[in-house]
Amino acid sequence: MLSRRELLTRSGMGIGALALSHLAPEFASAAAPGNPLLPKQPHFPVKAKHVIHLFMNGGPSQVDTFDPKPELQKRAGESLSDGNLKTERPTGALFASPYKFAKYGESGIEVSDIFPHVAECVDEMAIIRSMHADVPNHEPSLLLMNCGDARLIRPSVGSWLTYGLGTENQNLPAFVAMCPGGYPIQESQNWQAGFLPGIYQGTHVDTKHTEIEKLIENIKNDRVGQIEQRQQLDLLAQLNQRHLETRQNEAKLEARIQSFELAYRMQMEASDAFDVSREPQHILDMYGEGTQARQILIARRLVERGVRYVQVWHGEGQPWDSHDDIEVNHRRLAKQCDQAIGALIKDLRQRGLLDETLILWGGEFGRTPVVEMPKKGSNQGKINGRDHNHWGFTVWMAGGGVKGGHVHGATDELGFKAVEDRVHVHDLHATMLKLMGFDHEKLTYRYAGRDFRLTDVHGTVVDAVIA
Amino acid sequence: MQRNCFIRWIFAIQVAVPFAMPATRAADPQLTPEAVEFFEKRIRPVLVEHCYECHSATANELEGGLMLDNRAAIAKGGESGSVLVAGDPNASRLLIAMRYQDENLQMPPAGKLSDEVLADFAEWIRSGAVDPREGPPPPPPDSIAARAKNHWAFGSPAKSERPTVAHSDWPKTDIDYLILARIEGAGIEPSPVADSRALVRRLYYDLTGLPPTFETIKQFETNNAPEAYEQLVDQLLDSPQFGERWARHWLDIARFGDTKGYVFTDDRNYPNAYKYRDWVINAFNTDMPFDQFIKFQLAADQLAEGDDRSHLAAVGYLTLGRRFINNTHDIIDDRIDVVFRGLMGLTVGCSRCHDHKYDPLSTRDYYGMYGMFASCDEKQDDDLPLRLVDKPNPQEVGIFLRGNPGSRGERAPRQYLSFFAGEQPEPFKQGSGRRELAERIASRDNPLTARVFVNRVWGHLFGNGLVRTPSDFGLRSETPVHRDVLDHLAVDFMEGNWSIKRLIRQIVMSSVYRQSSVIRAEAVERDPENLLLWRAERRRLDFEAMRDSILAASDQLDRTVGGESVQIANESPSKRRTLYAFIDRQNLPGLFRTFDFASPDTHSPERPETVVPQQALYLMNNGFVHDAAQAVVGRVDDTDVRQRVNQLYRLVLARDAMIDELQLATSFIESGDNTSPDIPIGNPWQFGYGSFNAESEQLVSFHLLPHFVENTWQGGAQRPDPVLGWAMLNASGGHPGNDQQHISIRRWYAQADGSVTVRGRLEHPSENGDGVRARIVSSRDGLQGEWIAQHKTIETNTSTLAVKRGDTLDFLADCRDNPNHDSFQWRVTIRQSEGSEGTTTADWKSERDFQGPHAKPLGAWERLAQTLLLTNEFLFLD
Repeated sequence: MLSRRELLTRSGMGIGALALSHLAPEFASAAAPGNPLLPKQPHFPVKAKHVIHLFMNGGPSQVDTFDPKPELQKRAGESLSDGNLKTERPTGALFASPYKFAKYGESGIEVSDIFPHVAECVDEMAIIRSMHADVPNHEPSLLLMNCGDARLIRPSVGSWLTYGLGTENQNLPAFVAMCPGGYPIQESQNWQAGFLPGIYQGTHVDTKHTEIEKLIENIKNDRVGQIEQRQQLDLLAQLNQRHLETRQNEAKLEARIQSFELAYRMQMEASDAFDVSREPQHILDMYGEGTQARQILIARRLVERGVRYVQVWHGEGQPWDSHDDIEVNHRRLAKQCDQAIGALIKDLRQRGLLDETLILWGGEFGRTPVVEMPKKGSNQGKINGRDHNHWGFTVWMAGGGVKGGHVHGATDELGFKAVEDRVHVHDLHATMLKLMGFDHEKLTYRYAGRDFRLTDVHGTVVDAVIA
Repeated sequence: MQRNCFIRWIFAIQVAVPFAMPATRAADPQLTPEAVEFFEKRIRPVLVEHCYECHSATANELEGGLMLDNRAAIAKGGESGSVLVAGDPNASRLLIAMRYQDENLQMPPAGKLSDEVLADFAEWIRSGAVDPREGPPPPPPDSIAARAKNHWAFGSPAKSERPTVAHSDWPKTDIDYLILARIEGAGIEPSPVADSRALVRRLYYDLTGLPPTFETIKQFETNNAPEAYEQLVDQLLDSPQFGERWARHWLDIARFGDTKGYVFTDDRNYPNAYKYRDWVINAFNTDMPFDQFIKFQLAADQLAEGDDRSHLAAVGYLTLGRRFINNTHDIIDDRIDVVFRGLMGLTVGCSRCHDHKYDPLSTRDYYGMYGMFASCDEKQDDDLPLRLVDKPNPQEVGIFLRGNPGSRGERAPRQYLSFFAGEQPEPFKQGSGRRELAERIASRDNPLTARVFVNRVWGHLFGNGLVRTPSDFGLRSETPVHRDVLDHLAVDFMEGNWSIKRLIRQIVMSSVYRQSSVIRAEAVERDPENLLLWRAERRRLDFEAMRDSILAASDQLDRTVGGESVQIANESPSKRRTLYAFIDRQNLPGLFRTFDFASPDTHSPERPETVVPQQALYLMNNGFVHDAAQAVVGRVDDTDVRQRVNQLYRLVLARDAMIDELQLATSFIESGDNTSPDIPIGNPWQFGYGSFNAESEQLVSFHLLPHFVENTWQGGAQRPDPVLGWAMLNASGGHPGNDQQHISIRRWYAQADGSVTVRGRLEHPSENGDGVRARIVSSRDGLQGEWIAQHKTIETNTSTLAVKRGDTLDFLADCRDNPNHDSFQWRVTIRQSEGSEGTTTADWKSERDFQGPHAKPLGAWERLAQTLLLTNEFLFLD
């Protein structure tokens, strides 16, 4: 890949380079009112600048991952005398976790043996064991977790933050949603801009692919070579400059002139950002093999380059939805991402980026501590899985000003329902915004006669998880 | 606003059960500096931040009659008596409410304040409630209803007298007088008329969304007849492209889409949605009166005469929104929104959970409308978009308390919005009441309908509406600077039988519309935002106009009017106008979002105008633009370089090139390498035919198969081709030509130096004929293998071959002696290794990599044409 300077030299377009000199990006960006993605200051100063949301779509089970329940192990097979809480499907007796928990780190927080690498980082993590949502169904819960409303057209968290903060790297999309294989349930609504301008919408990247042209639209040109394209842009700059000379004080004309230079650089930068093969071998080894490792490493490369919000979906559909064979399935799913998630935290730490990167891990809800009853056409003949559970579940955060080695809240003794220091999804959103420097009641957008906000009329900041 | 509802609820209870507390008058406290400081630091900020929104003279709607603006106001208390007993915190209802002690009296409703604040208030009251704010209680704020009565947009519009102006030769129409008077009043000169070229482009884009040709502009420039402009206006208004352009504006209002959004695994397509779009196009083209236009969209089924089904598609306005996973409440909410924001500029949707915070709209109004829509069934005919029919037994619904369907209050009658209904709102009598609602909205007595539409039209013609909030004409909308212009046009619009063409004609004939967009420093000083309209705004083409213009410049535009929606964001985008694009609202392709297309999810009052690099990337790198650039050059027929440049300028920018532009372009062409590279960029396969010399074991000839039909490369549009016979290649195999001069040849280009191995399977499935012969030939080392497959499958593997970048491997299949029964399957994988280490770098698979016509690289002329398509001049209107 040639640098722009090399290209200019090689293409011999000295005139073009001169014509562009007044558009040096450092200065030009300040004079580009048409670009709503320029960096902005939040309400109050904070270290956190980026978010990586590791979305375990389908709903990981809390009692099998980060919320150990000895009582559940003890009483396995027992029926609850008061009956089970209502979830999506019929459920039966208490179902012990097939995994072992052990204490890790100085904090001694217990983590299941399917997440050994993540467990090594437990002193960086604030684990919220008292999450709760509204309903036990994927669609509304995904929208609630992503957009703060179960049904209506509302901007996603990433869109809100991009709207509030702009982005630091104009050569890359501000908000990237990576999902290998296609879309999760509810598809692109999960990263929608809603009523915000469309430019704040997440850019979907199918990380099943490795070729850059399949990852970012229009990033490659197979009909005009690089040198020829540089010549085109140099001519374009001259033609636009002539046009501008008779139309002074038109910021939007200047902004568009500049956008071509941004796009030109984006072609190089995006190709570089998504190409993990440029990492040294010891880093590749640290993250491990497979799609999860690759996309989680890409996430690090993106935030390192200033991307504001990166969502990493485990996969298309709802991979963590273990209605049956949970022992095999959860172990398999955790194995796919555990090493890379642990590597991400350590890698960000060693690069000094962890404080400015907020990591969120979790699904749209958790799973029941009771077993799911078999159902024709889905988990027929299987009594070894768990149903959806919005009454109580776990998410954890790390970096970005989060209090490490901390457990917040608790579910009941069996892990069914959040009972202590309950945290609703709205509260999680309020807390994330606080960590990113915003008062969630004041980050608003006027639409249809009303000032909207991510948390609508809800949300209380969970100060206890903030360092 | 939900919060507001909560407050109202609390006070309703409070009034019903009055407190027994005696209204104790606080003794005059001592205003010591310490006490005052305590108040200023600890008390006043809390009052301002948490209470004033509902309890002050600045409140939008005063709650419970209680004001906390000063000492006297607090002492006076609210509707249910005193709130403060100086010296006795526990007896002060102010603190009781703040402590959330009483579940019916909790303030502020958004959440209990901190213990520190509560302790401060207790301390403040205990020590005498010192309040330095002197003076009598301020007058209470007017209620929303009282302010609404005086709101500029809620009274009937009237025409204005023609004012006297200094530049009496400037105005051409009534509105010119009104605007000029105000411009002159500000000490600004109006701008001169724009030059002919700018004017013709402006008219073309505003009225048809398409560019004028070079010839059209030339003709206008040289036509000195005084009526030339008017003739052009009429010609454009009469063109079918007018209806297309303005239909798309309306589809933004109607949040039109071809799909339902996420509906689990149900079919997502709305059958026949395009028929609504076509109905709108036709309505604009036939100049359907706007009142009629509205009535059909709300209640076509009840207006149809006899068996006339021609307007039934109109109800798509209501039905073609997102389905919200089929949640009825949200579907109805969306319909209420599209009706009232779309047609009257009222945010009735705000009253779903509580009475409107700013406007005279109640939950009773909202659930009256809800009941109306709940009294309709949906009907899906084979030939129409989804439509509504009234249920036999229309119903009223109870108001959903706080928007909660599980908690119902009093029944809301199905009737028109009470504030706008006059003295005595009458419940609807005919079925659901849709028709009666339509009559109320599409009425000359409605103060909003005409104003809102005129303002939208104005916005499309000037870049900004006279009212800057086009879908909110409520109490928070500012009185427009040119209110008289809006009102004048609104009245005239209604008097002119709601003719949209007449309205548009009237505006574009004005001097104010024809002004130049040049920015004059002395005018900017007085009116930097151009609110007075002393010049035209420079405007950017919207997505549709931009894309259509690219198609028009390259003469690729398919001008068919109406019909089913087409794909524009796929590999082979349609050449139809952009308004015919299939709108998948669930996964709207990035192309639409990148270029600020209106969200199809909710009613869209105006489009954002962003400038982002993704727009540039599309224009630089997308095949659609490359194809257009090549098509533009295909229209150039001159041979002289300068003449050719000039032709390009005429086709793309509709003007002649200037001398220095000719020089720039010429040197661009000269320095550009005008030959196409030998090696295809990206995909290394080619599909052809040729002949082979068996003695020298070398390929003799190779030609590309010229036609690609139904995923097959072949000799002509039909098989067999008269010349090339049966020679063809598809993803998995193909058929040889009829003789040894027409061997089918799949060619692969080495992308890098290294070594390759080939693994393949050749199948001749037929039980007849003499089978096919396969050969693999390297351009470097000749024949690498030869096989015959007859009624069976064989392997076609090679040893490791050295290749240099640009070398070819050819996969030949011939018919042997008998050219019949020779269909074959031949799948090969080429594994390439690089350098001495031999690490595998790439796999090339004939089946996976198979593709249709390879995009042709752009030559220098084509790159010049593309550059012109990318200019600001192409995209902006002066």
